Amino acid sequence: MRVLWMKKEDLREFLESSKQFGELWGPVQKGEVYVYDKIDDFSRLILEPKRTLLPVKKLIHPPEFNILRYEGETYKTELENIPRRVVYGVPPCDIHGLLILDDLFRRYYPDPYYITRRERTAILGVSFCTPTEGCLCKSMGTDVVQEGFDLFFSDLKDFYLVWVGSSLGDDMVKVRPDLFNNNITRKHLDKFMECKKERDEKFTKSIDMTVIPDIMELSYDSPVWEEIGERCLECGACTMVCPTCNCYNVVDEPSISGFTGERRRYWDCCIFTEYSLVAGGDNFRATRADRLKLWYTHKLKSFGYSGKPACVGCGRCIDTCPVDINVLSVVRGLLGGKEKEGKS
Amino acid sequence: MGKKKIGIYSFSGCSGEQLVILECGAELFNLCDLTEIKSFPMAQSNNEYTLLDIGLLEGSITTERQKRELKEIRSHAKILVAMGICACFGGIQSMKLGEGGWKKRFQKVYGDEDKLFKTMKPLESKPCNAFVKIDYYIPGCPIDKKQFLHSITHVLNGSSPYLYQFSVCTECKWKENDCLLLRGLPCLGPLTRGGCGAACLCYNIPCVGCWGPAEVLNVPSEYRLLIEKGYTTEEIQRKFRKFGGAPMVECLKKIMKQSNYSATKAPRLKGGI
Repeated sequence: MRVLWMKKEDLREFLESSKQFGELWGPVQKGEVYVYDKIDDFSRLILEPKRTLLPVKKLIHPPEFNILRYEGETYKTELENIPRRVVYGVPPCDIHGLLILDDLFRRYYPDPYYITRRERTAILGVSFCTPTEGCLCKSMGTDVVQEGFDLFFSDLKDFYLVWVGSSLGDDMVKVRPDLFNNNITRKHLDKFMECKKERDEKFTKSIDMTVIPDIMELSYDSPVWEEIGERCLECGACTMVCPTCNCYNVVDEPSISGFTGERRRYWDCCIFTEYSLVAGGDNFRATRADRLKLWYTHKLKSFGYSGKPACVGCGRCIDTCPVDINVLSVVRGLLGGKEKEGKS
Repeated sequence: MGKKKIGIYSFSGCSGEQLVILECGAELFNLCDLTEIKSFPMAQSNNEYTLLDIGLLEGSITTERQKRELKEIRSHAKILVAMGICACFGGIQSMKLGEGGWKKRFQKVYGDEDKLFKTMKPLESKPCNAFVKIDYYIPGCPIDKKQFLHSITHVLNGSSPYLYQFSVCTECKWKENDCLLLRGLPCLGPLTRGGCGAACLCYNIPCVGCWGPAEVLNVPSEYRLLIEKGYTTEEIQRKFRKFGGAPMVECLKKIMKQSNYSATKAPRLKGGI
């Protein structure tokens, strides 16, 4: 991987130049939360990475969109309307989330809607954010990232170390070669290690992922599932904000004449009763406890073909659940409340 | 095959559903082309009770006469669809449903019943399904244009409408709104049927539940949560019942039956945060 460094004050100029590769998107403040939004006014862009309410998946696997429109017996997909975008400010945990979705939507079940958006979206990652309450990326091993981005900016206070992760990223750098410096010295490496160490010490919460997958296996009959099942509001918020939740529903919306119509796709959620309901009224996971157990099995034990836990430790479920059901509280519950709260 | 006959009938409510239908633009013309509209009080004169393929109802039933009309419509219609919170759950005028004491309240407002409303014979407000079988429901206050068009299209073509079963929270997260429950506000999003696009939440206004109870909901948990946030049982019950209709009354009765019910009894994870 090509690694360069860049002066901090040059970032804005670089991002302006990157607009020729697509619409510039990045985190902005919306009320009390942060969201990815299109950046027309540069002063709105927040340069340090933030935990946005929805992860970057919202741009690659949108909450709701039309797959196609049909007229009579012909149909047209809406793939060509997908815009090119450059998304700045994506933290490593979100990129790991994308890598898990890549596995699913690019490798095993090639999904043209996901693939097209992914290919038309340049991911500009940023790291060495100050961990906030609920950041668990270090526990999950998602605090560093080697792939899945086009450019990655390690914020080392005085300068950025810029990792070029794709040929698109390389093209973006080549537009303004004057802003980047090839000469990486010992000084840069020392600063990198120093910032990493400083950041690592700031994590306040941890999960011991060397044991949790096994604990999950052993906790199939744990009373914890009943307890959280009783509390869960079944609002689905945890799955909407999770970077690795990917389920969706597809419905046809015919027009009244029946001649034209559209096919809509929108996020679904395995916490909903309806999700596991089948014709005839049987439900494979009839209780909330069953459904939550499935969700946490995917997040903390194994998911998909990789067989690895799908939790990327972004902390969004901790921020989002109104009744305190999240990876941290579930792990504490499964460990009988003994999970240490201190530093890792 | 001739055109399908449809009829829209209005009982006690604000006629908001008819207004939404009138706002359907080009699709309304397509509907008029494809069907014979036998009744649509806000759009045409000469409305009749006649044989129908589809009857669309709005408003709750508050008089003997409405009850009679509803039963007549049912006997004439192959399919009946209840539209809006009033027809589906009784609406705000049914917020005291199941509590008893209606006669007393009525008398307090209107005086002695015998001397009034001889022709109308008032009843306690109830949703349409209290009297007749309803085939499909389109929730809302008022209904959503897209959901109406989706439903009428499916029903006209002999299939079942498929509307969101999830609560308001799902769409609220799609719109990336800050959770008002987490801010301590009494938001009924988790209990309320989705489909409104989290309209109020996008303006930081807590959900009041005007689309009626969701298909699946966890009333005891939200009840406990609001107790923990410092709301009184009276406040919570009032909020839950405003648009909750009979299903909510049943849920609340069950909660209140647990005699030693209190916030401290709320099941918590051991060592939860």
